[in-house]
Amino acid sequence: MIKFANVSLIYPNSTTTVLENLNLEISEGEMVLVIGSTGSGKSSLLRLINGLVPHHTGGILAGDVSIDGISTQLVKPGELAHLIGIVGQNPVNGFVADTVEEELAFGMEALNLPSDVMRKRVEEVLDLLSLAALRSRSIATLSGGEQQRVAIAAALVTHPKVLVLDEPTSALDPIAAEEVLSILHRLVHDLGLTVVIAEHKLERVIQFADRILYINGVGVTKVGTPEEILMDSPIAPPIVHLARALGLKEIGVSVREMRRMTQAFRTKDFLRATHSPVSGDTKIISVESLGITYAGYRALKSISATIYNQEIVAVMGRNGAGKTSFLKAIAGINQPDSGKVRVLDLNPQNLKGKDRRSAIGFIPQEPSDLLYGQTVLIECTQADADNDVAVGTTATLLDQLVPGVSLQMHPRDLSEGQRLGLALSVVLSANPEILILDEPTRGLDYQAKRELVSILIAFAKNFSKCVLLATHDVELVAELATRVIFFADGEIVADGSAIDVLLSSPAFAPQVAKVMAPHPWLRVADVIAAVENS
Amino acid sequence: MKNLTSDIVRFSYKNASVLALASVLSAAGFLWPFFYVGTDLPQTQLFFWGAVGLAFLLVVLEISSARLDAKSVALLGILSAVIAALRPLGAGAVGIEPMWFLLILSARVFGASFGFLLGVVSMFASAMITGGLGPWLGYQVFAAGWIGLLAGSLPKNVRGRLEILMLTVFGVMAAALFGLLMDLQFWPWALASGTQLSFIPGGALTENLYRFLTFHLATAMAWDVPRAVFTAGLIAVTGSSVLSALRRTHTRAAFLTPVVFNERVRQQKEV
Repeated sequence: MIKFANVSLIYPNSTTTVLENLNLEISEGEMVLVIGSTGSGKSSLLRLINGLVPHHTGGILAGDVSIDGISTQLVKPGELAHLIGIVGQNPVNGFVADTVEEELAFGMEALNLPSDVMRKRVEEVLDLLSLAALRSRSIATLSGGEQQRVAIAAALVTHPKVLVLDEPTSALDPIAAEEVLSILHRLVHDLGLTVVIAEHKLERVIQFADRILYINGVGVTKVGTPEEILMDSPIAPPIVHLARALGLKEIGVSVREMRRMTQAFRTKDFLRATHSPVSGDTKIISVESLGITYAGYRALKSISATIYNQEIVAVMGRNGAGKTSFLKAIAGINQPDSGKVRVLDLNPQNLKGKDRRSAIGFIPQEPSDLLYGQTVLIECTQADADNDVAVGTTATLLDQLVPGVSLQMHPRDLSEGQRLGLALSVVLSANPEILILDEPTRGLDYQAKRELVSILIAFAKNFSKCVLLATHDVELVAELATRVIFFADGEIVADGSAIDVLLSSPAFAPQVAKVMAPHPWLRVADVIAAVENS
Repeated sequence: MKNLTSDIVRFSYKNASVLALASVLSAAGFLWPFFYVGTDLPQTQLFFWGAVGLAFLLVVLEISSARLDAKSVALLGILSAVIAALRPLGAGAVGIEPMWFLLILSARVFGASFGFLLGVVSMFASAMITGGLGPWLGYQVFAAGWIGLLAGSLPKNVRGRLEILMLTVFGVMAAALFGLLMDLQFWPWALASGTQLSFIPGGALTENLYRFLTFHLATAMAWDVPRAVFTAGLIAVTGSSVLSALRRTHTRAAFLTPVVFNERVRQQKEV
């Protein structure tokens, strides 16, 4: 269906090859996963499939990419629209119409299909993706998972033979991600759809993939079954790290396989590690019966919580459960309708300017919302000046967080990880008492996530401050958090040490915990520690 | 096989000549009072409304049949929507229409042809939004198109503060020009005949010109001066950041970037 023959690619004004001599044939009904660190060329590869690269971006393409026998050299991307459905990284950016039904019809309008066909196909795809209940809803009011399903439906409605998805689950909570992936899995099996998918969160997709294409960042690619590729790939989900740590000869890509492989191991006796909850004794944040209502919708219903220094608190829960509202109320952005919020015994809403920056560092879901400068350098010098620190402090901080960011780049041209690093160093240059992050790992690769984890732990432990983060990423929470507050429908349903909360709910348990249940281990490091202690 | 990614919309000679023809027609629609030889107030307005509408239609047809590719359409659509939405923001206030600065800055970055289209489409769209449909629409649409066209034709190599200064001055002129043209299409009908400022059908060119300018200065100050000050002020304040955002868009859209299909990618570099 898709054939790459000796494909190499260079972008104009660039000296590094994005891809070098890629040979790959993807047959009908195959699901191929593209992995690689940020900026390694995953998106370029996906865009090669429908000819957007190089027709819209320019560049030198050697070799040939052909889809269903049509070479992308010979036709413009528009002429492949009926063959290929493409779903971008952020579905909201791709929506054209206001309501679900209209959005679904839009693609077919562009292909000039007769209206009776359009009607039929809209119904069909609404059923296929279980969207019938949402058909007349406004897209803006849908949750992240629902929007992602609408985007997939809009791509499928033209009956493409190939579906290309760029990080379809990065913004979703584990359950919504599962839902989207199982629908894709079903489409591959029921309709023989060919799916090419790029994703950072391997733990979510790996079990669905037939083959993996690994791009190492300097153009070299490797193709193989998940087991072959993950055996020695530096990019691997926790489950594979676990297999390596235990010295298994084979690796399993699903929890089921790994449980079978570790049966003997799990039956051994281990000393129960004692967990001493980490927290300081200074009360930093106190929230008392906080309630927030948006246009009649009660986002938060009487929330109370106290957070101490040295704590790293993960705020979890479904999309729309009230996580962001909670963080914004603590940051003083949202006006509480009832109850009160105190940060260091001050009302965060009254903090202004420098006092505010030195008390609360807030990084919103989209870190570029904080970045206004034309270049990274302007951003850094501005932060130095704002916070009365020595010239170059922010730039040095940035270099520690994410080395090798060019100071002349425009902040919006940076990769997700670099942008987060920049926003983080701008915020940290004010040396705030608390750091609040909303969904920091969206679009981050494993390497960047490891960096983030070590920065945040150092911030909380070494400087005795506290960190609050909202996230869907259970693996990150397992690595990082000392405490988890779990939200559902505007209420706190669980609040306790990370290990207690994560182990109590199977959907939100990290992979290692699922494999090793009933042993209370969250991370590969916990397993290794347990082995060493016994 | 070597070629380029598609360019931002640029008029071909054929397009440009259609545009010139349409411009002459609509210019006649504006300027007829000075050259009219009859003595009664004519019904020519109908003819000229038609002419302006036709010219507008002609240009749109000509261009849409030609080479508007996806990237140009996307840019045109988004910028038009923003401009059209900005226009009614100052509704009611005297001449304060926060659309002109963006039209001028966009035309500056994306060129004269794009500027013309942007002016035409955004003015039309904003009329649709505000319900401001009427005989004056054709004139407004063309005037906005010309302002875009002129802004896109300013000298290219001026950069930095000088560029902002140039655009600010242009903003004042454009605002004044728009006011002048709107008054011109309206003047013959605005006043009952016989006043000192009224149009004299078939009168001497100098006499009518004098009367018109007096009329314009007497009536338009309340609209044109705030519009000019507001537009120029917005350009002066936001100019450099808006320009750099638009220029970045221009770079990212990779217009006219070489697309090469080769045997090997390195071939070119070794030469």
